[in-house]
Amino acid sequence: MELKVLKATIKKEFQVRLRVYPISFMVGCILTSFYTTFGAWLMYHYFFRRQLSDSFSGLTGTSDYMSYAIVGSLMYLFVVRTCLNVSRTLMTELWEGTLESLMLAPFRRVAYFLGNMLLQTITTFGETAIATLIGVFFGLRIHEFNIIEFGIAVVLSLYCFFGVSLMLGCVMLYTRNTYITQNTLFTGMFLVCGITFPIEYLPTGLRLLGKLIPVTDCVSLMRAALLGGMGQGQFTQTALMALISGTIYIAFGMPLMKQAERLALEKMEG
Amino acid sequence: MRYFLKVVWAEAVKQHKNYFNNRTIYISLFIWPLFSFLSAYYSYSAFDVEGTLVSYINGKNILVFLMLGYMAMSFFRSVVQSAWNFSRERQSGTLEYIYLSTANRLAVLMGNALSSVFESSIVMLIFGLLIVFSNCDSINVNTIGVSIVLLLFIIMALLWGVFLNACFLYSRDTDFLFTILEEPMEIFAGVKVPIAIFPAWAKIISLIFPLTYVLEALRQVLLNGASISSISNTIFACVAIIVVLLSATLITIVVVEKHMRKTGNVVLF
Repeated sequence: MELKVLKATIKKEFQVRLRVYPISFMVGCILTSFYTTFGAWLMYHYFFRRQLSDSFSGLTGTSDYMSYAIVGSLMYLFVVRTCLNVSRTLMTELWEGTLESLMLAPFRRVAYFLGNMLLQTITTFGETAIATLIGVFFGLRIHEFNIIEFGIAVVLSLYCFFGVSLMLGCVMLYTRNTYITQNTLFTGMFLVCGITFPIEYLPTGLRLLGKLIPVTDCVSLMRAALLGGMGQGQFTQTALMALISGTIYIAFGMPLMKQAERLALEKMEG
Repeated sequence: MRYFLKVVWAEAVKQHKNYFNNRTIYISLFIWPLFSFLSAYYSYSAFDVEGTLVSYINGKNILVFLMLGYMAMSFFRSVVQSAWNFSRERQSGTLEYIYLSTANRLAVLMGNALSSVFESSIVMLIFGLLIVFSNCDSINVNTIGVSIVLLLFIIMALLWGVFLNACFLYSRDTDFLFTILEEPMEIFAGVKVPIAIFPAWAKIISLIFPLTYVLEALRQVLLNGASISSISNTIFACVAIIVVLLSATLITIVVVEKHMRKTGNVVLF
């Protein structure tokens, strides 16, 4: 039954995207990644003439700033695209007038959201591949590729991003607003999740906020898998932290989503 | 003139009632630029700030340097949003009513931009001024220069908004406006990184944005104590841009009205 819902969701979403997919979304996200990379490139090569601060290498385990920033921007692209689509799924159903009929159907929400997530992951991998090519042009270099760590980082990232998307989706359904909620989260994540600089530079409050969002750990794991600079013990510890926070987000996100759905249905006409 | 100002004021009040009826608007007007500013500021921490080639930037005034960039950008960014909102007049069919009225077209566009420039940037302006005043020992101000540059700055931001509004009298497809003008303006106008150190090709792109010139002038008079004569080239460029923007707006208004009369279509494309 659940597999059937999963397959049906993927099929439906794929058809919708094939026919009415707003390509400007995809182009916009790739461009954002390009601008982040380009901004970092200008700063590193021209503004500060490749002179890093003394603390940077110690905090990050690498002296290759461009690779550090580009991996961060690629992960940011990934999380933004996932959140944009998975979180907005039910809101889109609400806008399109299909939420009511969807709620009448006897299906498990987990399979429905996973279906959306899987399809989005495939699309996002394509977009990230394009952004990676741009990154290579601006100086992305893989220093210590570890396939096992990379696999763990990818799986954990998808798991955690799913949890973040669920929570964001709840807020969207509750407030019936996507523009303000999604952009506030995205600009906030860019600041506190260590996308282009280590979070140790932030004041304590913002650093703690960053620790509460699993994206921070996922970005660190991906950097460790591609650029090295993190010991086995620290990698395991960060991976465990990501797993725990991702599980908390999903554990709270699913029941909250049910509540938000109920509220959205009650206020459908209001 | 009195009638012109009456239309400007009426349009500004209308836009205020349209967009400031919900407090969440302040999240987009203040929280997002604040987060972007903080991200840029903390990303500087990865570098040795004293190693920069720009003579007037140092570890002490880099916060003010960056704040001026984001504060100035919030003015120019707000008019991009204003143009985006103005395109909704077409979608909701109210543009037709504006055109049926005897209201001066330039006054309508100016009222829209005026409301946007001042209301949307006020929170960021206050925050920016607080940062500047709390770091006043690290700045080197030329008072006369600042007065002239600020006047030019406000006129340019306003006319940039009027011009963008005029462009979108022509079309309802405005999504690309953000793709072209939001992030590229942040990068190429020198908000985060001064254009003086740009490679030649990036300098050429930066010339497209009016913000580039006026921001450079603003930083020179506030951080470097530059006199008006020493930045005369930038000042002339700003005046030239003002003339070009005003002329282009007046021409666009005439062309759009002719086009609408010919096609009889004010609502669609």
